[in-house]
Amino acid sequence: MRSAGAVGSGSRQLQQTMGVAASCYCLLATVLLPLALNAQKPTPAPAQAKSILLKGGTVHVGDGTVIDDAAVGFRNGAIDFVGHSYGVTAAYDTTIITTDQHIYPGLILPDNSLGLHEVDLVRATSDEDDTGEMEPELRALSAYNTDSRIIPTVKSNGVLIAQVTPRGGTIAGTSSVVQLDAWDNASAAIRADDGVHMTWPKAFQRSGWWAEPGDTDKSKGDERAKRLTNIEDFFRKAAAYAKASTHAETDLRMEAMSGLFTGTKTLFINADGAQDIQESVLFASVMGVKRTVIVGGYDAWRLPDLLREKKVDVILRRVHGLPMRDDDDVDLPYRLPTLLKAKGIRFCLGYTGDMERMGSRNLAFLAGTASAYGLSKEDALQAITLDAARVLGIDQKYGSLVVGKSATLFISTGDALDMRTNNVTHAFIDGRHLDLDDHQKKLYRQYKRRYAKP
Amino acid sequence: MRFRSYALSLASLLSAACFAQKNAPVNGPADKSRIVAFTHATVHPSPGKTLTDATVLVQDGRILRVGQNGIAPADAVVYDLQGLHLWPGLVEPYSDLGMPAPDGNGQPKPAGARFWNPAVHPAVQAVRSYVPDEDKAASLRAQGFTTVITHRMDGIARGTSCAVLLGGRNANEDIIAPDAAAHFSFSKGSSKDAYPSSLMGSIALVRQAIYDARWYAMQGQREQSDADLQALSDQLDLPLVFEASDRNDVLRIASIGREFGLHFIVKGAGDEYARLGDILATGQPLIVPLVLPEAYDVEDPYEALEVGLAKLKHWELAPTNPARIAEAGGSFAFTAQGLKDPGAMWDVLRRMVRCGLDSTTAIAALTTVPAALFHLEQRLGVIAPGADANLIISSHHLLNEKNTIHETWCGGQRFVQKPIPGEDPRGTFDLNLRSSILKLKVTGALDKPEAEVSQPGSEGVREKATLEVVRGGVTLVFNGDRFGFKGPVRLNGSIHPRGGIWDGQGQMPGGEWIAWSAVRQAGAQTLPNKDKKDKAALDSLWSAPTGQVWFPLGAYGVPMLPDTELVVFRHATVWTNGPQGVLRDADVCIAQGRILGVGQKLDLGTLFTERRRPTVMEIDATGKHITCGIIDEHSHIAITRGVNEGSQAITAEVRIGDVTDPEDVDIYRNLAGGVTAVQQLHGSANPIGGQSALTKLRWGQNGEQMHIAGADGFIKFALGENVKQSNWGSEGSRFPQTRMGVEQLMYDAFHRAKEYHAEWTLAEAARPKQAKGRGRSAPEPSTALMPRRDLELDALAEILEGRRAITCHSYVQSEVAMLMDVADSMGFKVNTFTHILEGYKVAPRMKEHGVTASTFSDWWAYKMEVGDAIPYNAALLNEAGVNTCINSDDAEMSRRLNQEAAKAMKYGGASAEDAWKMVTLNPAKALHLDARMGSVEVGKDADIVLWSANPLSIEAKAEMTFVDGVRRFDLKQDTELRKATGAERERLITKMIAAKKAGAPASKAERKDKGHWHCETIGEEP
Repeated sequence: MRSAGAVGSGSRQLQQTMGVAASCYCLLATVLLPLALNAQKPTPAPAQAKSILLKGGTVHVGDGTVIDDAAVGFRNGAIDFVGHSYGVTAAYDTTIITTDQHIYPGLILPDNSLGLHEVDLVRATSDEDDTGEMEPELRALSAYNTDSRIIPTVKSNGVLIAQVTPRGGTIAGTSSVVQLDAWDNASAAIRADDGVHMTWPKAFQRSGWWAEPGDTDKSKGDERAKRLTNIEDFFRKAAAYAKASTHAETDLRMEAMSGLFTGTKTLFINADGAQDIQESVLFASVMGVKRTVIVGGYDAWRLPDLLREKKVDVILRRVHGLPMRDDDDVDLPYRLPTLLKAKGIRFCLGYTGDMERMGSRNLAFLAGTASAYGLSKEDALQAITLDAARVLGIDQKYGSLVVGKSATLFISTGDALDMRTNNVTHAFIDGRHLDLDDHQKKLYRQYKRRYAKP
Repeated sequence: MRFRSYALSLASLLSAACFAQKNAPVNGPADKSRIVAFTHATVHPSPGKTLTDATVLVQDGRILRVGQNGIAPADAVVYDLQGLHLWPGLVEPYSDLGMPAPDGNGQPKPAGARFWNPAVHPAVQAVRSYVPDEDKAASLRAQGFTTVITHRMDGIARGTSCAVLLGGRNANEDIIAPDAAAHFSFSKGSSKDAYPSSLMGSIALVRQAIYDARWYAMQGQREQSDADLQALSDQLDLPLVFEASDRNDVLRIASIGREFGLHFIVKGAGDEYARLGDILATGQPLIVPLVLPEAYDVEDPYEALEVGLAKLKHWELAPTNPARIAEAGGSFAFTAQGLKDPGAMWDVLRRMVRCGLDSTTAIAALTTVPAALFHLEQRLGVIAPGADANLIISSHHLLNEKNTIHETWCGGQRFVQKPIPGEDPRGTFDLNLRSSILKLKVTGALDKPEAEVSQPGSEGVREKATLEVVRGGVTLVFNGDRFGFKGPVRLNGSIHPRGGIWDGQGQMPGGEWIAWSAVRQAGAQTLPNKDKKDKAALDSLWSAPTGQVWFPLGAYGVPMLPDTELVVFRHATVWTNGPQGVLRDADVCIAQGRILGVGQKLDLGTLFTERRRPTVMEIDATGKHITCGIIDEHSHIAITRGVNEGSQAITAEVRIGDVTDPEDVDIYRNLAGGVTAVQQLHGSANPIGGQSALTKLRWGQNGEQMHIAGADGFIKFALGENVKQSNWGSEGSRFPQTRMGVEQLMYDAFHRAKEYHAEWTLAEAARPKQAKGRGRSAPEPSTALMPRRDLELDALAEILEGRRAITCHSYVQSEVAMLMDVADSMGFKVNTFTHILEGYKVAPRMKEHGVTASTFSDWWAYKMEVGDAIPYNAALLNEAGVNTCINSDDAEMSRRLNQEAAKAMKYGGASAEDAWKMVTLNPAKALHLDARMGSVEVGKDADIVLWSANPLSIEAKAEMTFVDGVRRFDLKQDTELRKATGAERERLITKMIAAKKAGAPASKAERKDKGHWHCETIGEEP
C-alpha cells in the first residue's frame, strides 16, 4: 500500500484493486526475504511524505464521540480532517477505503517496563531494576530497547505509545513516554523524563503466609515507619534542593527530583489500599509536589473527595485481575473503571504486573471488559486513549482524533475492544504508515505454508 | 509460717516415700504408707455423678474406697472437706511436657539403622527422653491437671508418647504408661531433608512409611534392618494420634485411616464445627483445643477491610465448636495445649458452656474421655476404687466462675494451689476485750484481709489493725492508745468453723494475758468487681452467637447447600458442541443433575413420562446463550500448602487430590466465569510430578466431594527449563540439568516401573488362589512374600498399564518429540502436552501420537524457551487435527477463559465453534470426560452456563452456572450474597468493637495476602 501511487479519492473499484495489490506486496516481500525471519525487527516507517485519507467506516474520536460514515485525513504527520466522509474537500495523495471498519486513536500504555526487559527469567535481558532504594536519577529512556521483539507484537494490536517505566525499590526511577516505531531512543521519545515512580510502603503487612497467616508483625510496622521517615527526609531534601537553580555540588538524585517541585515532572505513586492512597496523596501535597498520579488505585474509589480535591489521577491496576480481598465483590476489578467514572476521578487503564510487557497487547481488551461491566464503549476507549494522554501529559498532541493533533491512529476491521474482532490492518504514528509485521506472524506464515495441503 | 512449710515438705517426703522407686535401695528406715481420708466432701466421682457429704479413702497413691462418712479408719489422716468439692484430676491428652525442644538446626540423624527420611522417626519414645519440668507441671496442676500424655511434637511419624503423673517425682515414678500412643502429623518439623516440601508430600510419606512398616513386619527384615520400621509396625496397635492443622486435615487423616484400616484420634484445630457432618461421619475421636481466636482491632474502617469474613465468623463461632460437636453426637477430649495463659482455660470453658456446651460433657472431655482414648480409664479421670489418687479440691463446681482450685493431688501427692481459707474472715464483729467492746471491721481480699478497730458510738475513733488469718488461726494486732490501752494489743486465737466466733488468748500492753472473743455481727459485703473488663457486657457478648455456619465459612458461603434443580431454559442460543451445532431459539431442560432435553420447542410432556409431571422452573433465555460449563485443563486453584513436591526429580507418589482446598474463594470466582470443572495439577518443578485431581467446582462441599467420581487417573510430567532448574540462579546438583538428562531420567523411571510391575505380576501369580484378585491395594499382614509396595512406582506402572494419563508441561519441539519417542518405545501414550507453545512446529507428529495440546492463548517471553511461542499456536494445532485446548494455569485468567478462547479466532482465524470447543469439549476429551461432559447433549451432566451474550464476546457474563444440575452461581443470588456478606461483616465488626471495649484482648488487623499457585511455585509458600 505504501507503494500505491493513486492520487485523490478515485473510484471505489480502483481502491479495492489497490487493496488487493497491497496484500500481494506483503506476501511477496515475505517470500523474498525468508532470511529475515526472527532476525530483524520490522523497518521503522519513514516520515509521512504523502497525504492520506481514511474514508468510510466509524471513527472513534477518543473523547467519547463516534462519527459514522466518517473520514480522517492527515498530512505531514498531523490530522487535518475528521468528520463525515461527505465533508472531505481537500485532496489527498492516498485514499484508504475503510468502509465498515473502525478508526481509533493509537492506544496508550502507561506505566510499563516495555523495552527494559526482554525475557523475564533471563537476567542479562533485564534493565528495569537497579540496586538502590531511592533512584529517581535512573532514566528509562537511556536503556529503552527500541528493537525489543515484544514491541512489534504490541503494536500489532493498536498500542502505539507507551510510558516506559523502571521498576523496583521505593523510588524506581524516571519514566519517559515513547512512540513504539523508532530507529533509536532519541527519535522514540515523545515526552522524555516525564515522571518519577515510587512505591508507597504498604500499611498492612503480616507474618506467616496466606494458607497459614500469622499475626501482624509489630516489627514490620516499625520497619514501615522507618521507611516512611526515610521517604519524608528524601523529599524534604529534594524540595529544598529544588528551590535554588545552582548548587555548589551536584546531587544527581536531587536533580532528578527537582522537576516534581517545579512542575516539569509528575510523581507516580504505586498504592492500592485506601490507607496507602490517602497517606501518600496527602504526603505529596504537603511536600509541595505539583502533580501526583496514583498507580494501582484499587481502593481509589473509596476516596473520591480527596483525589478530586488534590487533582490526582489514577492509572488503574490491571482490570483483568483478581479481587484484592476474599470478601470483595467477585467482579470488583472489572467494575473499578465504572466506579471511578461515577465518582468523577480521572483514570486510565494500566497493565502493570506479571507479564506486563508481553501481555500489554491485551490493553484494548481491558477496556472491553470495563465496558461489559458498566462503562460505555467510548468511555472505555477514552480510558486507553485521551485520558491516558491526559494522565501522561501528552494530550496536546496525542490521545484523540481531532484536527491539529498527531496522526497517531489505527484501523481495525472490527471492534478493537473485543478479541474476536480486533484486527489491526493499518497503523500510523505521526502519519508514518507502520509495518505491522512481527516475528510471530512470520512464524505463523512459515508453518501455515509448511502444513498447507498441496 | 515456718512450721507450716515444714509440715508440708514433711508430708511430701512421707508420701513420696510410699512411692519410691521399687527397685532402688532403701535409704534409712522404710516409710510406711498411711490411709488418707477426705471427709464431708461433695464428691464428683465421674461426669454427671455427685455424692454429697461423702468420704474418699486413699492409700499408696490409689483410691481405696468411696462412700459415706464414717468409713475412715481411726488412724487415717483426715482432711475435712466440708463445703468443698472433690473431683478426679484432669487429663491433658496432648502435651510436650518434659520433652526436649527440637533443635533449630535439625536433629542430628540418630545412630543406628533408621528410616531414610528424618521426619519419620517412630522409634522415638517419650519414655526415654522425659525430663521432669516442675515449672510447667506446676502450671498444669494449678488448673487441675494431674496427668499428661506427652510426646515430642516434631516430625511426621513422631514416635510414642508416655502418660505422666504430675507428681513432681522422678521419671520412673511419674510415668505410668510408657507407650501411651503413637503420634503423627503432616509437618516435617525440624527435619532438614528437602522432602517433603508440601502437604501432599507429607501425606505420601506417611502412607509409604505405613506400607513399609507392614512390609517390614512380614518380610522386610530379610532384606534390611530398620529400627524405625520395626517401631512403626509395633506401634500400629497403640492408640494413634494424628495432628490436624485445620478442619480439612481431619478428613485427610480419615482417608489415610480408611486406606490402612487404622483408626486415628485426631488432634483438631478447633474449627471442626465448620465441616462437622463430614468430620463426625469419619468416626474419629477428636482432641479439641481450648484456644479461642482473639478479636481483631477493627475500629479503623480501613483496617477492618483487611480482616476477612472467614476470620470474623471463626472468631464468633469458635466457642460453639465443642457444643456443636457434642450436640451432633461426636466424642471429644479437650486439650489446653497452646493456651498462652493456662489460667485462661476456665474462662474459655465457661464461654463454651455459655454457648451451649453441657457442663457434664465439658468435665468428661477433661477426664474420662481423654483417659479412655489411651485405655487408661481404669486409672484416670474418675474417683473410683483402684484409680490413681488424682484429685482436685475446689471451692465450687469447676465451671462456676467463683470457683477456686485449692489443692491438686497427683498419685497421692498433695499440691496446695490456694490454701483453703477457713471461714471468710470479712464482716463486722463485736470485739470483746475484757470489759470493753470494740468494733472490728474486716474488709479486703479473701486471702489478704484488712482490719480496722473502732469505738462503738464514736465512729471517728478508729485504728488500723494488722490481721493475719492462717488456716483457722488468727492474729490481730492494733495500737490501743485511742481505746485507752496505752500500747499494742496483741491477740491470737482461732476461728470456729461455721461459727462466726473468733476467740483465744491475748496480751495487753503491760504484759497481761487475757481471753478475748469476736462475734460476727454482719457478713462480708460483696465488693464491686475491680476487674477492668466490663463483665456484664462481656457476658452478653459471650452468650450463644446468632451467626450461622456457612459453607464454606466466609464470603459467598451459604448456610444451606443448594440441591439439584429441575429447569427448562426457553428461547436460547444453544452451543451444543454436538452434531446439532449452534441452535437458535432453542430450549434446554435439566433434571436430576443431567441434561434431559435439548432442541427447539421442547415438549416437557414427552420428556417426563411419569404420570404426574414434576414442577419445572421455566427460565426465559431470549437473547441469551447456553453452553456447557468451561473446563480448565490446567488449573492450580483450590490447592493447599504446596503445589509442587519439587524436592525430588520423581514424585509420582504425591496426589493433588489429597490437598484440594474446598474453601478457596477462587472456586466461586471461577464459577462466576462459567467454569464448572478443572484439572488440579501438580506444578512443574520436577520431570515426574504428582497425580492430578479432576474436580468439579461444587462450591460449599468438601474436597473429596468435589472430585469427579470414576474419573481416570492423571499425572503431571514436566520438561525443559523448570525441571532442569535453569532459572534457579546457580547451577544445581540435582539430576537432570539438561534436556538430555531428562530423557534418560524418563527411560530409567519407566524401566524401573516395568521391572516393578513384572515383580508384582510374578508374586501375584505365585500367591495362593483365594488371595488373588485383590491387587496391590490390599496390604494384608497374612499375605506371604509380596514385594514391597512403592507408591511412586505404582503410579508409573499405572501409566504403562494405560490406567494413568500424562499431562506434560512442555515448550520446545525437541523435548515434545523426545517424550513421544520415550512413550512409543516403552509402550504407552502421552495424553496431553500442556503449555506446548511450540506445538505448532510438531503438530503432525502430535496428531499421529494422538496427544492433546493444551496451550495458552497468547503468553510468551517469560523465559528463554518460550521465545518462539506464537498466539497462532492453538489455531494451527486445531487445523492440523490435534485435539486443542486453551487453559489458564492462572486463577485470574481461568475466569475469563471464554475471552481466551476468542483469541483463537483473532489469531489464526479459528471458527467460533472451534474456539469454543477449546475450553469445553476438547478439554473434556483430554480428561477422558467427554462421555459425560463437554457438550449440551441429552444424558450428559447438567454442567450448564447461561450467558448474557455470545460467550466468546467481550460482553459475555455468566448469569447462571449449574454444576450437576445444582445452581452454584447465579448473578442475582450473587447480589444477595454480597449483601449477606456485607451485613455479616458489619454485625461482627460491631460485635468485635464491643468486645474490645468490654476488655477482651484484640490484635491488629492483618491482610490475608492471597497467594496463587503457578506451575513453578516451589514449597508451601508462594
